[in-house]
Amino acid sequence: MKIKAYMQRFEQQGLFFKLFIVMVVSIIAVCLLTSLVTIRMSERLFTETFSITNSKVLNQIKTSMESLNDSIVNAVSHASQNGTVKNYLAGGDGDSISAGATYFSMGQQMKQIKSNVDAYDVGVTMVGVNGRSYTSDWSYWPVDTSDLADSMITKHTVDQPRRLMYQYDEETAKDGKENYIIASKALMERTSDFLYGTIYVAIREDQFKRFYSNFTSTGNDVLILDSNGRIVSSNQDKLIGTFSPQLLKDVTEMQEQQMSYKNADVMGKNHIILSNYIPEYDFYLVNLIDRQYAVGQIINVRDIALICIAIVAAALLTVFLISRRLTQSLTRLVRQMSTITEKDFGNYVNVTGSYEVQELSRAFNYMLDELNDYIARLLETQKEQRNAELAALQRQINPHFLYNTLASIKMLVQKGNKETAAETINALISLLQNTISNVSETITIEQELENMKNYVFINHVRYGGKVQVNYFVSPDCMDYHVPKLIIQPFIENAFFHAFNEKGAGVIYIMVSRQDDMLVCEVVDNGDGMDGFSDSAEGSRLPNPKSKRQLFTGIGVQNVHNRITLLYGEQYGVSISSKKGQGTKVKVTLPLILEPMSDDMS
Amino acid sequence: MKKLMFLLLASVLLLSACSSGGGSASSGSDASAKEITIWAWDKNFNIAALELAKEKYMKSHPDVKINLVENAQADIVQKLNTGLNSGTTKGLPNVVLIEDYRSQNFLQAYPDSFVDMSDKIKASDFADYKAGPTSYEGKQYGIPFDSGVTGLFVRTDYLKQAGYTPEDLQNITWDQYIEIGKKVKAATGKDMLTQDPNDLGLIRAMIQSAGSWYLKEDGTTPNIANNAALKKALETYKAMYDANIVKANSDWSQFLAAFNSGDVASVPTGNWITPSIKAEASQSGKWAAVPIPVLSDVPNSVHASNIGGSSWYVMNVDGKDTAADFMASTFGSDKDLYQEMLDKVGVLSTFKAASEGSAYDKADEFFSGQKIYADFAKWTTEVPKVNYGLHTYAIEDIMTVELQNYLNGSKDVDTMMNDVQTQAEAQLK
Repeated sequence: MKIKAYMQRFEQQGLFFKLFIVMVVSIIAVCLLTSLVTIRMSERLFTETFSITNSKVLNQIKTSMESLNDSIVNAVSHASQNGTVKNYLAGGDGDSISAGATYFSMGQQMKQIKSNVDAYDVGVTMVGVNGRSYTSDWSYWPVDTSDLADSMITKHTVDQPRRLMYQYDEETAKDGKENYIIASKALMERTSDFLYGTIYVAIREDQFKRFYSNFTSTGNDVLILDSNGRIVSSNQDKLIGTFSPQLLKDVTEMQEQQMSYKNADVMGKNHIILSNYIPEYDFYLVNLIDRQYAVGQIINVRDIALICIAIVAAALLTVFLISRRLTQSLTRLVRQMSTITEKDFGNYVNVTGSYEVQELSRAFNYMLDELNDYIARLLETQKEQRNAELAALQRQINPHFLYNTLASIKMLVQKGNKETAAETINALISLLQNTISNVSETITIEQELENMKNYVFINHVRYGGKVQVNYFVSPDCMDYHVPKLIIQPFIENAFFHAFNEKGAGVIYIMVSRQDDMLVCEVVDNGDGMDGFSDSAEGSRLPNPKSKRQLFTGIGVQNVHNRITLLYGEQYGVSISSKKGQGTKVKVTLPLILEPMSDDMS
Repeated sequence: MKKLMFLLLASVLLLSACSSGGGSASSGSDASAKEITIWAWDKNFNIAALELAKEKYMKSHPDVKINLVENAQADIVQKLNTGLNSGTTKGLPNVVLIEDYRSQNFLQAYPDSFVDMSDKIKASDFADYKAGPTSYEGKQYGIPFDSGVTGLFVRTDYLKQAGYTPEDLQNITWDQYIEIGKKVKAATGKDMLTQDPNDLGLIRAMIQSAGSWYLKEDGTTPNIANNAALKKALETYKAMYDANIVKANSDWSQFLAAFNSGDVASVPTGNWITPSIKAEASQSGKWAAVPIPVLSDVPNSVHASNIGGSSWYVMNVDGKDTAADFMASTFGSDKDLYQEMLDKVGVLSTFKAASEGSAYDKADEFFSGQKIYADFAKWTTEVPKVNYGLHTYAIEDIMTVELQNYLNGSKDVDTMMNDVQTQAEAQLK
């Protein structure tokens, strides 16, 4: 029972829930989609902007690196064209004085050569074929100059003596490992191509780093890649000296296709790669932007999520309130309307709620008005139809009755019973007079009694007095109006059907007032019938197929219908009967003092 | 209606997102701040000594934070100049190590930027020659640190081939040294010494041994022309070249290589070379240290001199009291700490009391059982006191160039000295 009530409740709220859930899903979907699209767009915009600004930054770094290269080129060409240097590196040992002089002037030259690169913190080292070396700062690049001649750096340099090349080197100094980028060039006698030494310009990696360290930040890394794929410099110290062939592949591909940027996985993370080739160094200047981190920086997922949640919550609250109001008035309307099914067309709904609901209520009320109007008119029409039918029946006085009555009068006249004949004719006249008039007119009980007496008299004349009729009419009932020919059909019924076996008996006609009703009873002590219980709730109607009456043709069934039609269901005819004991017909009518004003003409 | 609500909501959210961070409070001047910073060069020597002092000091002062910052000497000089020139103490350390040759330059230009340590340490506790560079106008600013006391390191095996013993080199003159050098070269083919023609350390050592310097006592007037000690030193220097016993080198690594590879028979220089000589373990037992020779015919020349060496200076910045206390209670007075420094780092200090310790009295097998630290400590006390003045390096730059003219014979010594004097006076005005 409870579950049923709950289900009913749920059903009633169904519309609201459906509406609300659709709204929830829509709002969340819109919010998510909008956020996603926005994030996507800003990501792309960010990437574009970032690649443009960072390309400029890369160009700037490149320019600074080129100016270092220019300085180094100046220093190297200064050294390679210098006789003192050549003398120092290629000449033989003399005595202390000449050696001292050579060393001294080499020192002076070194200062001049070094002055070319003084803007940078670099170390210049020269090694000659005679085994001599000269270093501007021995601690800067603590390499053993005697081993240097056999090093890969020197080998590469000597292989391409006309080229200034940059190579990676690492030295283990007292205070840990230090990374270098070594610019080296063979010193060559122009005329004979004799290589008399090598000049090395050592640049500490942290010096190199200064070119770009201002531009780097978390997620925005710069690294410099040589043509072997070795990372020679980076703001990420742990990467220095490592090889990254994949990155080299990426940047060479970018260079070939002239891509401004590329998205690729580097070191297990998705990066935006920007690169710039620096031909002087044969290095690639690479900028790696950690996509996830960088995007995470500009797009605050937490804030977006919070804003989304706030908007969704606010929208849902609004939607909840509005749809709740909407559906509530609808629900109320529906509840009110549902009472119509209980055959109560007078149940008008309250015009409240939203505009639509109000319109609907108005329309519904209008419809009820119309419906009630139509029902009233239908009832009226039915009543009229019945009246017309009755009138038609009433006006057809059964010819047999007239024929028989007239035959009886002829007999009386022939027998010479003139008085009885005259009385009979009077009774017939009176009867016809009362009968052949407006069928819906009411007459007083007194007049009806008169009619009944006339009718009984005529019947006595025709069939003899075997059936006695006694009247018991309460005097205070005499002035109440009843429809014409209400009781007559029952008397006729009793006359011609109640005494077929017994042959003689008595009919009692009793009219009295009970509560607010007028009760007319026709009781006989004749044969009686089966199938009519004596109980009050017993079948009220006699055999529906009752024969047409001899006098007017108005049957018992018609009487009942007429009463209920005129006065309502609470009035009507009830019959109780028992075989061998007689029949009792009870007609209940309202108390009417005025003649019924019927518009029937 | 809905739009309005959204706008309202959005603006509320935006506003709430715009919260501002608080500003950081700036600290005012605080002489007793508990965090101090010290600048020095050479991680293995000066910084290592500082670490020992810090460790010891922290035991009794756990609330003090000491930051040791290593910088190249040239960087320190440049940063000090920049900071002091700008007149702001921001970014300057509490304590800085300054080479003795340069210290006057700073003290005279910016005496207010350094803390007078006169009442914290006793100048007489340290080697006398250190007083010149570390004090100014009677106030003791510096805490003297390492000794640059010189000695003559000799290869006993080469000397033996030439018929000499280390005893023959005790208390000799430079002229005798050259004679020995010639014989050694004749006997072994090895040069007697190695020199970088751009570094006149040996000449500085010679003149300081005679109590003379490039500058007069006032520290500003060039003292080149008519400087008898300098003249003798230059003549001696040229005599070495003329004797063809000098191997040229161009830098520190070649300098080390020259004696580590056995190319030279002696090394006249500061005691700080000791670890480098000992670095070539194969030469153990082949070395001895004897007193530096004296200049012939220069009466006040002694067998002790100095090359290099530096001292600590407390700067007048926040935390100066803490810094002064740290320096005074460690480098300024702690004999045991100096023992430890010699033992662990090889620092030969100028703190007189330190030389009484056991670490100084240790015989060194590398030097055939010679107690070289005791010897150096003894010589330290004998180093003549000179005023390095303001322009040591400026004059040496001029001298280096002019010296070549003298060495190759294009100028005689007096002309050369006069030229240097003239140039120096013109340049240092």
